[in-house]
Amino acid sequence: MKADNSMKLAMLLLIATGAVAQSEFTPPRLADGHPDFGGIWMAASLSAAFNVEEHGASYGTPAGPSVIIDPPGGKLPYLPGMRERAADNDQHRERDPVGQCHMHGVPRVMFPPFPLEILQDGNYVLILAETEHGVRIIPTDGRPFLKDYSTWNGDSRGHWEGDTLVVEVRGLNGRSWLDQAGNFMGAGAHVVERFRLTGKDTLDYQAKVENPAVFSRPFTVRVPLRRRPADVELLEYGCIEGERDAAHLPAVNGEKK
Amino acid sequence: MIRSVLVWLLFAGTAWAQGQSRDLRGIWQATGTAYQNLEGTPAQRGQPAAKSIVVDPSNGRIPYRADARKSADRNSKERATSDPLLSCFQPGVPRAVLLPEPFQIFQNPDRVVIVYQHVHAYRVIFTDGRPHYDEGIDFYMGDSRGRWEGNTLVVDVTNFKPETWLDNAGNFHGNKLHVIERYTRTGADTLRYEATIEDPEVFERSWTIRVDLARHTEPNFQLLEHECERDAQGIHRHPPQFLK
Repeated sequence: MKADNSMKLAMLLLIATGAVAQSEFTPPRLADGHPDFGGIWMAASLSAAFNVEEHGASYGTPAGPSVIIDPPGGKLPYLPGMRERAADNDQHRERDPVGQCHMHGVPRVMFPPFPLEILQDGNYVLILAETEHGVRIIPTDGRPFLKDYSTWNGDSRGHWEGDTLVVEVRGLNGRSWLDQAGNFMGAGAHVVERFRLTGKDTLDYQAKVENPAVFSRPFTVRVPLRRRPADVELLEYGCIEGERDAAHLPAVNGEKK
Repeated sequence: MIRSVLVWLLFAGTAWAQGQSRDLRGIWQATGTAYQNLEGTPAQRGQPAAKSIVVDPSNGRIPYRADARKSADRNSKERATSDPLLSCFQPGVPRAVLLPEPFQIFQNPDRVVIVYQHVHAYRVIFTDGRPHYDEGIDFYMGDSRGRWEGNTLVVDVTNFKPETWLDNAGNFHGNKLHVIERYTRTGADTLRYEATIEDPEVFERSWTIRVDLARHTEPNFQLLEHECERDAQGIHRHPPQFLK
């Protein structure tokens, strides 16, 4: 318990230090005046990939703090009965869509234990995930959303608020998990992400998730990303090509057996 | 007036024919139906006819070694079950370029990124002189390194896994595959694509395909997510992208 509190204190100090640093930091800019997010990034801590909530250590999972900054308690605001479903998922991790070679979905795609590449080109921000060779193409030209779209990584539209890239995501299929611990999303989610450089090599990522089918109120996760060295390249990630397990696994989350 | 327009058209045509722009950005798709069979094929049930896009050798045939031609024929007979695309494999190169699905090219000064709609395969092509990976580190989409020859993007692709096919007909390669691609802008909305293919264990000599790529100019055109998934029974499915 004491160790736990000192970890929280250290986290607070880190956040406070970050707050001072970000007010002084002027981001490098592209010719169009927007901050240059280009590079290879990865979550500064893998804690969120294991569990977005505060969690103790267990086999294969190091302990870590919650990445939920709202609501203040750091717990997912599940509707009645939904936390039990997440706990059941945790006991049946073979249901994890990522284990079945699917893309992570938003926001989980932003904090897997694998690198991401961000590339800006004119009216697009492109995010490539190494894992599952996931792709997000984010137009920033103000075009409308696709209608009735339903996919793993959804349909993203970006715009700039000062030096912050704000990305609105619709069209998510409601089958994605939030982490390896079985926390999950449902149909009809609406996600608003905020990307902001807080230092030369640090990118602050926040995602506000509204998903009334599963949660009683919106919640926000915050995961700092750290730049990888300049010589890092994304490698090809084959999953389904070598997949031998599916025949031995129960049906994917959300599907009838 | 008419004469000046004609002169301008002539000039513009000449300029594009020479590849006056290094700007390859946009959403592109191969014209024609060569994805069916690089060597051409008559129309069959559910399949359009295709004309050979093999421009070298001039007979339009892939110069297989004798034993390899037998393997291609066997693949062709078994293609309804053994095409790697049916198992959701990333398509490889040049098949990814030829598929009847769009792809998008992004550019930064030191790299070109191509995202294919088909199973969201992508390639990051460095143009800053970085070397290939060592032999033995293999990829379905290969390892791509680019350079500019004038305004043509030349991409050297090596380090392939042998499991991918070249088309729907079962034309194939081995693990010594080496592809040299050439992308040249030939008009505002056209891109010439050429690929020279070598694999001494499968082909008697190198050979070249050529196809034109057309830009999607529809307003707000975008790539859709094409996820391929395997269900609990091991059957591959393509979930719909639209609810209605």
